[in-house]
Amino acid sequence: MSFKKTLLTAFSASVMLVTASSAVAASTLNVYTYDSFASDWGPGPKIKTKFEAQCDCTLNYVTLDSSVGILSRVQLEGLSSSADVVLGLDLNVMEAAKKTGLLAEHAVDTSNVNVAGGWSDKYFVPFDQGYFAFIYNSEAMAQPPKSLKEVVENKDLRVIYQDPRTSTPGLGLLLWMKSVYGDSADQAWETLASHTVTVTKGWYDAYSLFLKGEADVVLSYTTSPAYHVVAEGETKYKAAPASEGFYPQVEVAATLKNAPNKALAQQFMSFILTSEFQNTVATGNWMLPVIDDVNELPEIFSQLQQPTKVLTLPANDVAEHRKAWINEWLNATTR
Amino acid sequence: MGDFIVGKRTFLNTFLRSHWPALGGLLFYLLVGFAAFFSLLLYSSPVEWAGYLQEPYLWRLIRFSFLQALLSTLISIALAIPVASCLYHRHFWGRRFLLNLFAVSMVVPAIIAILGIVMVYGSNGVFSGVADVFGLYGLFGILLAHVFFNMPLAVRLILQVYQMIPDAQWRLANQFGFGRWYAFKIIEWHYIRKALPGAFVLIFMLCFSSFAVVLSLGGGPKSSTLEVAIYQALRFDFDIAKASFLSLLQVCICSVVAWCVYRYSPVLSQDVSLIEGQRSQFKGGRLSLLIDVLACLMALLLMVPPFLAIFTPVFSALFWTTLLDDALWHAVMVSLKIALPSALLSLLLAVCVVSLARSSLFSLRYAKWSFRLEQMGNLVLMVPSIVLATGLFLILRNLGVGFGYTFWVVVWVNAVMALPFVIRSIAPVFYQYEKRYQFLYESLGIKGWQRFKLEWPYTRSGLAQGIAYALVLSLGDMGVVALFGSQDLLSLPLYLFQLIGSYRIEQGACVAIVLLLLCLICFYLTNRIIGGKIARI
Repeated sequence: MSFKKTLLTAFSASVMLVTASSAVAASTLNVYTYDSFASDWGPGPKIKTKFEAQCDCTLNYVTLDSSVGILSRVQLEGLSSSADVVLGLDLNVMEAAKKTGLLAEHAVDTSNVNVAGGWSDKYFVPFDQGYFAFIYNSEAMAQPPKSLKEVVENKDLRVIYQDPRTSTPGLGLLLWMKSVYGDSADQAWETLASHTVTVTKGWYDAYSLFLKGEADVVLSYTTSPAYHVVAEGETKYKAAPASEGFYPQVEVAATLKNAPNKALAQQFMSFILTSEFQNTVATGNWMLPVIDDVNELPEIFSQLQQPTKVLTLPANDVAEHRKAWINEWLNATTR
Repeated sequence: MGDFIVGKRTFLNTFLRSHWPALGGLLFYLLVGFAAFFSLLLYSSPVEWAGYLQEPYLWRLIRFSFLQALLSTLISIALAIPVASCLYHRHFWGRRFLLNLFAVSMVVPAIIAILGIVMVYGSNGVFSGVADVFGLYGLFGILLAHVFFNMPLAVRLILQVYQMIPDAQWRLANQFGFGRWYAFKIIEWHYIRKALPGAFVLIFMLCFSSFAVVLSLGGGPKSSTLEVAIYQALRFDFDIAKASFLSLLQVCICSVVAWCVYRYSPVLSQDVSLIEGQRSQFKGGRLSLLIDVLACLMALLLMVPPFLAIFTPVFSALFWTTLLDDALWHAVMVSLKIALPSALLSLLLAVCVVSLARSSLFSLRYAKWSFRLEQMGNLVLMVPSIVLATGLFLILRNLGVGFGYTFWVVVWVNAVMALPFVIRSIAPVFYQYEKRYQFLYESLGIKGWQRFKLEWPYTRSGLAQGIAYALVLSLGDMGVVALFGSQDLLSLPLYLFQLIGSYRIEQGACVAIVLLLLCLICFYLTNRIIGGKIARI
C-alpha cells in the first residue's frame, strides 16, 4: 500500500466512525437513575411502558452506577445537562442536592404521601421507602444478631456493607451508626472494620458477594427477604432485628431547572404518586410504596421485620456533618 | 558576543521557518494541557488545603500510593533484567512465543488482565491458595497486576538498549573468552544502567497513577491511591476543590520523583554502528543456564494463566448469548469511535514532538532541548488523565459548550495519554535518520513534508507501532470514560468493569475475549497496513 493510500484509508475510516451518530426522538423525557432501577429485572421497564401510554413521548433512562453518582453527574453536566428528572437520590443527600441550585420546584400535590412525619418538601417527591437492615441466612446461622451493636461487636461475624461515599445504603449505615453510637462512632467503626470482609461500591455487589457465601451478614433492607420468597420461593434469608431501632430510607425524585422538557418532567413527577407507579415499587424495586392506595402487597410483606422504633437524624444535621462523618469513618476503618 | 547573537537568531529563524507546523502542534498540546490544569486551579480554594492536610486518611493514601508504585516498579525491573538478558543471548525454542506474549501483554487492556487475575487467583481460581495467604484484594492483587503489565514493558525497554551495544564489543568479549556473567557485568550492565532511570520513572508514574487496577483490586478505602481518590472526589462528591488539591499533590510527587531519578541518571548516547554482525553465543555455565530457565519460567507462570483463564468460557453457551447481545456491539462501536481519532491525534502530536526534538538533538548548543521536548511528551504521565479530562471539561463548560463534547474530551485525553508510548516507538528511528542524513537533507534543502515522505519507507514501521499502541491504549482505557461514561458512551472496558463490579465474571470473560481480539486485530492490522511487510511487531 502506498503512502497516500494508507493515509486516506486511515483518515476516511475515522471520519466515518465519528460521524455515525444516533438519532434522538423529538419529545424524550430523560430520567437519570441508578442501574438496578432501570435494569430488566427492576421496576424501570414497567414504569416506562405505563408512562409512555399516557404521555405520547419516549421515556429514556440514563443509568448511573450509584445514587450519589446521579447528583454529581448532574453537577458535572451543569447547565448543559439533558436531564429532565433525577430519580434515586435519598433523604440524606437532599440538602446537598438543593444547594447545587440546579433543581426546580414541583407542583405535585403530596398530601397522599404516607411517610413518617409526612411530606412537605418543595423540590422532591418521594417514590419509595424502606428500612436498612442486615440480612442473614437462617439456615447457616441459628443465632442472628439482635441489634446493631451485636453486629458491630461480634467479631466472629463476617460483615459486608457499602461505601458511604458512593452508595445510599452505605450512607444510611453511617447515620444509623451515628444515631446509635453518637460520639463514640469512630471506635465502633474500628471494631466493625476488624471483621469486615469488604466495603463495596454499591448495593448490588455487596448483595451478590453475600449470596455467594462470602459473608454472614450484609447491609440491605428489611424488604429484601420478600424478593427471595416471591421471585425464588426461597425462605432462608431473613432480616436481623435491631433493638435500638431501624434507620429509614426514603428515595426521592426531582426535576431540574434546565430540563429540556419541563412539561413532561412535571407530568412524570405527578405520575410518581399515582397507584400505577407505586404498584411497581414493592415487587420491582423491593421497597415499600409511599402511598396507601396501592394493590395489596404479597403476603410475605406482612411477615417481614417491622420496625419497633425508627431512628432519624435531623436533615440539616446530616447535611452539615456528612463530610465530617465520612472522614471519621475513613480514618477509623483504615487505621 | 555580537556573533553569538546573530548565530542564535539565524538558527531560530531557520528553525521556525522549517518547523512551524510541529511547533504549532506542540504549543497547542501544551496550551490545552496547562489550560486544563489551570481551570482546575481556578476552582480550588487554598484556604481549605490546611484542612485537607490534617486528615490522617490523606497521609495513608499518599503512603500507600508510594508503597505500591515503588514495590511494583522495583519488582518489575528486577524480574525484567534476567529475562531480557536471557532473551537476548539465547535462541531457544519458545523464545519467539515469549516475545510475542510480552508484546501482547503490553497491549492488553488493564481491565482484561485484572479479570484474568481475578479468575486465576480469586476464590474460585486455580491459584486461589496464593491469594488466601496474602488476600487478593489489596496490595497483593495490585502488585500482581502491575508486575503483569510492567515487567514486559521493562523487558522491552531493556532490550532496546541492548540494540545499542556495538557489535564490536561482543566480538571483543568473545575473543577474550568472557562468560555470561562477565559479559553482563562489563558490557550489558553499563548499558542497562542507562536505561534504568527512564524505565523506573515511566513504570513508577504508570503505577503511581494507575486507576483501573486500584479501583478493581484495591478492595475498599484501605488500599486506595491518590488517583482513585481524585476520581471519587469528582465523581461522587463533585468536590472540585478537593480533587484539584489532590491532583496538585499527585503532580508534585511525580515531578519530584522524576527530577530525583533524572538528576542522577547517566546520559544515553546513540551508537551509530547499525550493522548486525554474526553474534556467537556465549559460553554459559550451569548457573547461568539455571538462572535463564528460572527467569523464563517465572515469566511464563506470571503471564500465561490469566490469559488462559479468560478463554475458559469460549465453548459455553453463555459465550454465544453474550455475542448476540446488542449492548456488546454497541460498546465495540463506541470503543472504535473513541480509539481511531484518538490514535491519529496521538501520532500527529508525537511526530510534532519528535521532529522538533531531533532537529535540536545534534546541534551543540541546543542538544538539551531535545531531551526537554521528550520530557514534555512524558509530562502527561504526571497529570492523572482524570484530572486532565475534568479540567478540559470545565473549560468547555465555562465556554458554554455542552456535555455533548465530552466525547472529544475523551478522545483528546486518550491521545495525550498515549503520547509517551508513541514517542518511544517513533523516536529511535527518527533520531537515527537525523544523525545519518541530517547534513544531506540540509544541503539538498529537503525538509518537512518532503522529508517525511522520503523517510516513510524506513520510519513507517516505527510509526505503525506508535499508532498501534495508541489505538490499543485507547481501546482499553478505562480512566476517562469511567468519569464521563453513560449508556451513550459505554465503551467495552467500562462495560467489562461494570460486569466485574457486579460479579458476573463469566459474562465478563466473554466480553474480555471480544475486547482482546479487537485489540489484537487492530494492533496487527495497523502494523501490517501502515508498517508494511517489514514491520517488527
